[in-house]
Amino acid sequence: MIKKILIANRGEIAIRVIKTCNALGIKSVAVYSDEDVNSKHVKMASEAYHIGAASPSQSYLNMEKIAETAISSGADAIHPGYGFLSENAEFADLCEKKKINFIGPSGKSMRLCGDKMECKDVMIKAKVPTVPGSLGIVEEVEKALDVAHSIGYPVLLKSVFGGGGRGIRLVHNEKELREAFEIASGESKAAFGKSALFVEKFLPKIRHIEFQLARDKHGNAVHIFERECSIQRRHQKLIEMSPSPVVDQKIRDEIGELAVKAAVAVDYHNAGTAEFLRLDDGAFYFIEINARLQVEHPVTELVSGLDLVKLQIDIANGKEIPFKQKDLKVNGCSIECRINAEDTFLDFAPSTGKIFDVNIPSGPGVRVDTYLYPGCTVSPYYDSLMGKLITWGQNFEEARQRMTLALSDFYIEGVETAIPLYKTILDSKEFISGDLSTDFLDRFKILDRLRADMKKEASGKSEAALAATLIHSEFLKNRIKSHKEHSVRWKTQVDRH
Amino acid sequence: MHSEKIKNFLHKRRQAEQSGGEERVQGQHDKGKLTARERIDLLLDEGSFNEIDAMTTHHYYEFDMQNKKFFGDGVVTGYGTIHGKQVFLFAYDFTVLGGTLSEMGAKKITKVMEHATNVGSPIIGIVDSGGARIQEGILSLDGFASIFYHNQLASGVVPQITVSVGPSAGGAVYSPAMTDFVIMADKIATMFVTGPEVVKTVLGEDVSFDELGGAMSHGKNSGVAHFVAKNEYQCMDIVKTLLSYIPQNSTEEPPIVETGDDPNRLDNNLINIIPENPLQPYDMKEIINSIVDNHVFFEIHELFAPNVIIGFARLHGRTIGIVANQPMVLAGALDIDSSNKASRFIRFCDCYSVPIITLVDTPGYMPGTQQEHAGIIRHGSKLLYAYCEATVPKITLIIGKAYGGAYIAMSSKNLGTDMNYAWPTAQIAVLGSEAAVRIMNRKELDAAKDSAALKKQLVDNFTEKFANPYVAASYGTIDSVIDPAETRPALIRALDALANKRERRIPRKHGNINL
Amino acid sequence: MLDGKHKWIDIDMKFKLENTDENLDGEIIKSVGNNEFLLKIQGKERDLKVITMTHDKVEFMLDSVYHITKYLENSTNRITLVIDGVKLTFNKRPEMDKIVYKNSGADSSADSQINLKSQIPGRVVSINVATGDNIKKGDVVCVLESMKMQISIKSHKDGVVKSMKLKQGASVAKNDVLAEIE
Repeated sequence: MIKKILIANRGEIAIRVIKTCNALGIKSVAVYSDEDVNSKHVKMASEAYHIGAASPSQSYLNMEKIAETAISSGADAIHPGYGFLSENAEFADLCEKKKINFIGPSGKSMRLCGDKMECKDVMIKAKVPTVPGSLGIVEEVEKALDVAHSIGYPVLLKSVFGGGGRGIRLVHNEKELREAFEIASGESKAAFGKSALFVEKFLPKIRHIEFQLARDKHGNAVHIFERECSIQRRHQKLIEMSPSPVVDQKIRDEIGELAVKAAVAVDYHNAGTAEFLRLDDGAFYFIEINARLQVEHPVTELVSGLDLVKLQIDIANGKEIPFKQKDLKVNGCSIECRINAEDTFLDFAPSTGKIFDVNIPSGPGVRVDTYLYPGCTVSPYYDSLMGKLITWGQNFEEARQRMTLALSDFYIEGVETAIPLYKTILDSKEFISGDLSTDFLDRFKILDRLRADMKKEASGKSEAALAATLIHSEFLKNRIKSHKEHSVRWKTQVDRH
Repeated sequence: MHSEKIKNFLHKRRQAEQSGGEERVQGQHDKGKLTARERIDLLLDEGSFNEIDAMTTHHYYEFDMQNKKFFGDGVVTGYGTIHGKQVFLFAYDFTVLGGTLSEMGAKKITKVMEHATNVGSPIIGIVDSGGARIQEGILSLDGFASIFYHNQLASGVVPQITVSVGPSAGGAVYSPAMTDFVIMADKIATMFVTGPEVVKTVLGEDVSFDELGGAMSHGKNSGVAHFVAKNEYQCMDIVKTLLSYIPQNSTEEPPIVETGDDPNRLDNNLINIIPENPLQPYDMKEIINSIVDNHVFFEIHELFAPNVIIGFARLHGRTIGIVANQPMVLAGALDIDSSNKASRFIRFCDCYSVPIITLVDTPGYMPGTQQEHAGIIRHGSKLLYAYCEATVPKITLIIGKAYGGAYIAMSSKNLGTDMNYAWPTAQIAVLGSEAAVRIMNRKELDAAKDSAALKKQLVDNFTEKFANPYVAASYGTIDSVIDPAETRPALIRALDALANKRERRIPRKHGNINL
Repeated sequence: MLDGKHKWIDIDMKFKLENTDENLDGEIIKSVGNNEFLLKIQGKERDLKVITMTHDKVEFMLDSVYHITKYLENSTNRITLVIDGVKLTFNKRPEMDKIVYKNSGADSSADSQINLKSQIPGRVVSINVATGDNIKKGDVVCVLESMKMQISIKSHKDGVVKSMKLKQGASVAKNDVLAEIE
């Protein structure tokens, strides 16, 4: 049985894993870079080890150093979190070689899932519907043009090794495709040493719906419902929820079965996610399998009552999944908002710096997973996710209401966030009616509505702000610490020297 | 009761408030200038202004002046508070007879100046004036003289700040020049001794008002303006910011303000600001910004002699005056303008108990005939004099080069500096290694077969032996070589230790600084 | 007739909320002592009691409603503060603006400003223009990297690059001047 887990990650996910370790009586080992000396995960773990300089390549991506630390600290397992080394097949292999239990799938299935083209091949053979597009990598721009021509514009030019929404370009015609191909090719070569692109049909008004998967080493595989993650910007998720408003039990069973089939086809182990696109007419297309625990796993936890990290550890320990598919029932509804350190009005540009004050919301059905505390720093070296605000309700409306109230209570001083944007989205009639799609922000001109909402909010505070302005000089006087006795000296002092 | 008298009083008061009348006020606004009272309103705390001498008029009869009488006679004077601090002020009123100075106007101004020196409060002068009132002739000139006299009486007793938001010509410019700080509003303010028309007539030179004596010109070329403000709002902001750093008068200490910045804050990046190659310049302001409270540095004379940096900042809430070389300009060498700029600032700090922190990285004085003929010897000596004269706590930090005479001049130990620190990157020597070797080993180099290699070897030797802070440290001329990351805490601890410094000198009327 | 309310300068009580362009009136009627003030806002009398003041925050009750304020910037004509989490900026002298800006142009007229400032912190990944280049508004001046994202910084106006204040690989803070464009 696993007794000590080294968490090869940082931020909120490291804290998340530590919490389950504590619940199971497992010791936790944290690792940190120069930048994270004062981080919360370091303070919470049973032990913590410094592994390198701030830059990820010298710390959180340093496979040798992390494996070495695991061995020297006596950890018998590594939990990779998400991002960083979580889908790095080489690292999974290294762990296996060093006899460290890697809590996740094998290097082999990671490779397969990571190669979107190969994976697509496997899915087609397994009769899992996939998005129309090139049947392999397009090495030459002419090939890309051919494919685009046959499936029809607009098309997406994607990088085989991209992930998390990066490396995707939308092109509407031949000219754009030529330009994009050149840039993407260059980027791909720079990042991975080769140009590995493929073409896919662009489907408008699509919903991103994914299924949580789990498969143990005994062949038992289940899905733990779907998550709708359609509210995105630049292909990165902002808001997720479970269940999806357009998935009823029949569809859940049907597509869920496809998802499980996909997992089996790539011989997947442990927890993962099968991503699908759902067109307006209801058709589902398989996109990819994410071979890791995902950021948005809490919404699944809240509607299933399960601790997914515990499930991961159980599977890694060789146990059988303790329930069958028919035992799982969706309970209520859960919504998650990602709290990123980004400036909404600067096209979500990064916002970093010291956090002077934080107020974390709580209450019935409110959960916050975050690394923030007053005085901590949001670093430019790592991504912008500061935490997640998740709510649960007996139905969608209750979850939604709890979310809007919790958002108002969530106060972060020091960086910009999208909290005002989320309030506007959550209050919109389109969100309430479930009319979601990946182009939600543009389609309903949400940013304009946000501006109007902010004006209204400013107006509401105008009189109080004016009062604060009027007493500003009092505030300035109060800052002066020196004493009134100074002025007495003028009268009594005769000679200066 | 007394309703007639009350009515008469109210009428006169209303008239006094209207300055030169609605038409003239509109004319002032059309030019993009505010009236005297509007400027006072911007400067002082709400409702704190108390005007005096509002009903003065001139008593002149020549040139039909009896028909051109206005209440106030071209100047608004009084007192009020700025962020709670008492100040006395005068503001020339351009809407009344062009803001020209009369006998009565001068009397009003000298009256508030006298109040200020009796009470120990700063004097602010807002200048927007056509100069001397020609009609009053000698009375006007004598009026200016008495203002200058009071400027001198107040100098070093209470801070005097001039806000120039209009013309100021002829003799009128000397009062601002005698005050401690001059703020000029860009495109509105002008100052010159002789105007463009006379220049054209006498010299045939064609030059515009702005070119001859505008804010930018005085900010960059002559150094008459310590600040060039974008507009009148910014002028007032500058006055308020200045006053927040300094005490009310020479007997008080500067105010200590709660800044919330950790006095023990380290900065591991400071050492990276200095390039490995000593010939490569860097921006000294990056270092300054890192160590001061909340990274706020209030620079003075930003455009003039940029090879030296001066300004106010706070360390752990205490005001400090900073003097620093700027390696990005002229490699940080000292010259005439920078010597003048720094000396005056040092003497101001000494007048008002502001500790001085000097940051050094200078290769020496600018060579050449231009400097020598213009008197770098005379002007350079001012800097030495000013440092020696100052009895406020003085702390020096040598960051890079400190060669020869410039090393001495930049607040070295024996000029009476209290604490002298150095970074490991400091190079303190009489000359740079190259120059030193060229002079000292000339014979060997001439005789050598491979003089380039020998030179390199000798230069390296010299650098290792002398171009470092340790020789100076071994003699106690440097009190401590510090870790650059700890600069801020080191300076703060030194300041705390020296807070109660008291130095006594032999009494004399005053020294004879080379001017 | 004589009511003791005379002030030599007509106090301008008008404020303009820049977020919404609303005009508001406000003044302090008197200080009641013990950190309590009687204010008049939009014609109504309001009671303000200060609860605490630290070096950057003030907590107060305005007619029994609690508020917390952090002052961000304050100048003669403008003040920016965050009240109960909402950021607001007041123009304290809306009437004077047109006179004062006649010769100098508005305070923060982006187009006339010579300095291109960075709106985000980051590391300089590439410098895309050089001193002397003719550039248009929207041209990419440099690319900064932060939080694994690459952000292009674009020019705020047409003009000629007068000087570049960037070094490859250097770290830039928010509001740092990146280049001067004339």
